[in-house]
Amino acid sequence: MPSTTVIILDADPAPPPELLDALRTMDASLVTRTLTELREGPLELLPVADVLLAPAESDGDAVRMAVRRLRRWAGAPIVVVWTVTEFAALEEHVRIGHDYLVPPFLPALVGARLHSCSERAGLGRTLREADARAELMGYEKELEIGREIQAGFLPESLPVPDGWEIDVRFRPARQVAGDFYDVFEISRGRRLAFVVADVCDKGVGAALFMALIRSLLRHTAQNSGLQHLVAAGRAGGSRRIPVVGATPLLNAVTATNGYLTRNHLRQGYFATLFFGVLDPLTGSLVYINGGHNPPLLLPADGSPPAALDITGPAVGVLPDCVYTLGYAQLDPGDTLFVFTDGVPEARCPNGSFLGDERMLELLAGPPVSGKDVVDRMDLAVREHTGTAEQHDDVTMLALHRPRTARGPYADGTGHQVVA
Amino acid sequence: MPLSVSLSIEGDTTVIDLSGELDAETAPDFHQTIEKAAGHGTTTIEIRMAGVGYMASAGLRSLVFAQQKIADNVTIKVVGAIEPVSRTIRTAGLDRSIVISDE
Repeated sequence: MPSTTVIILDADPAPPPELLDALRTMDASLVTRTLTELREGPLELLPVADVLLAPAESDGDAVRMAVRRLRRWAGAPIVVVWTVTEFAALEEHVRIGHDYLVPPFLPALVGARLHSCSERAGLGRTLREADARAELMGYEKELEIGREIQAGFLPESLPVPDGWEIDVRFRPARQVAGDFYDVFEISRGRRLAFVVADVCDKGVGAALFMALIRSLLRHTAQNSGLQHLVAAGRAGGSRRIPVVGATPLLNAVTATNGYLTRNHLRQGYFATLFFGVLDPLTGSLVYINGGHNPPLLLPADGSPPAALDITGPAVGVLPDCVYTLGYAQLDPGDTLFVFTDGVPEARCPNGSFLGDERMLELLAGPPVSGKDVVDRMDLAVREHTGTAEQHDDVTMLALHRPRTARGPYADGTGHQVVA
Repeated sequence: MPLSVSLSIEGDTTVIDLSGELDAETAPDFHQTIEKAAGHGTTTIEIRMAGVGYMASAGLRSLVFAQQKIADNVTIKVVGAIEPVSRTIRTAGLDRSIVISDE
């Protein structure tokens, strides 16, 4: 049992020598503070004490304010007011709940009174700790609910077209995440839309914007008028082939950027994203890369990956900016690996990054399957991170077109024989 | 790794000198400094980043935040950023509104 700690209020009058002797006899630890120090001094210098010993002449309300501040930061002491002659002033203090000491200040009497105060103060501190724990558990529970609700903003199942494989890995660094992915059908099921995005920053703020951005993208893409299904190809380019699914793609990204910059610019949240629209029958891909780490197209023959570079800025930063379309082709055996910066920026305990070069080494050679690529990269990220804390959300999506696919074009016989 | 932030005025330029890592933990310090810098009313705000070894997306958010806080007629310059940091800024497209220079 620790000895009683007493704050002696540095005020006029000072405690009589008999009272100080009694405190020393009971082996109390004594600290002296002025009322101003207790009410306005730095928080880290506030003492944790059982008793605040004040003369009856001190101002009751001021003492009460000091105790209120102590309660928040260090635990509330019991106020014990002493006097030798000022009994009227003492009565005022007793009325507002302060304890008191009057002569004779015999060591046994003072000791017994302060010990009982010390027990009451200890009980108060225990209650305060229990309250703090309960409060913390309340927050944890709220965050857990947030995590569950956020999971509802990720696709429940992936619509995988015949002749394709889609594999996803999603490992948030905290309970709620800024990363997200989405896979859904557009254009009456004729096209497959997929998104991998990273909302800047971390925690609850990023999670709220994730929900907004995901919903805007998906809703706009799925509700772009079917009359606009066929859009002109790359603006200004020599190729002007109509591309099904390009309009929902452009509409989704442009509308989301417009909405964010009109309504949320001041909050400074934005997302980098890769939004691809695949024709499952031909393997042709049209995409927008809005400021995102370029995804890597891993060719079936094991030749070096091609990066699908940015075609516009991050979404939510610049009002009225132009997004152009990128085009790629996935042939049988190819894999498209889309990821967030949590992969190359995974950090080991000494702080070094996994890095782009190591990523390319790990991805070298012909991809066996999308699952193999995702598993290999995920293992590398986890091994590299080791015992270090995971700093960032990690999201990966692999879109693989197997050689031995069931799709009509894939095996080189199906479609052509039928035709 | 902590971030050290210093703020000074050189003629008509407010200089913010950063060194360390700019991530979710350290970005709030940078935000506070931006708010102070926004109040200076100089025509240029120069963010010296030669000492920044790593910038996470929270750091990019700080730059967007700076654009919002600082008047449109003030030029924001990022100076001396190492290649991975300037690449992060360019990839996100922030180089369209922020001047990136080597010196």
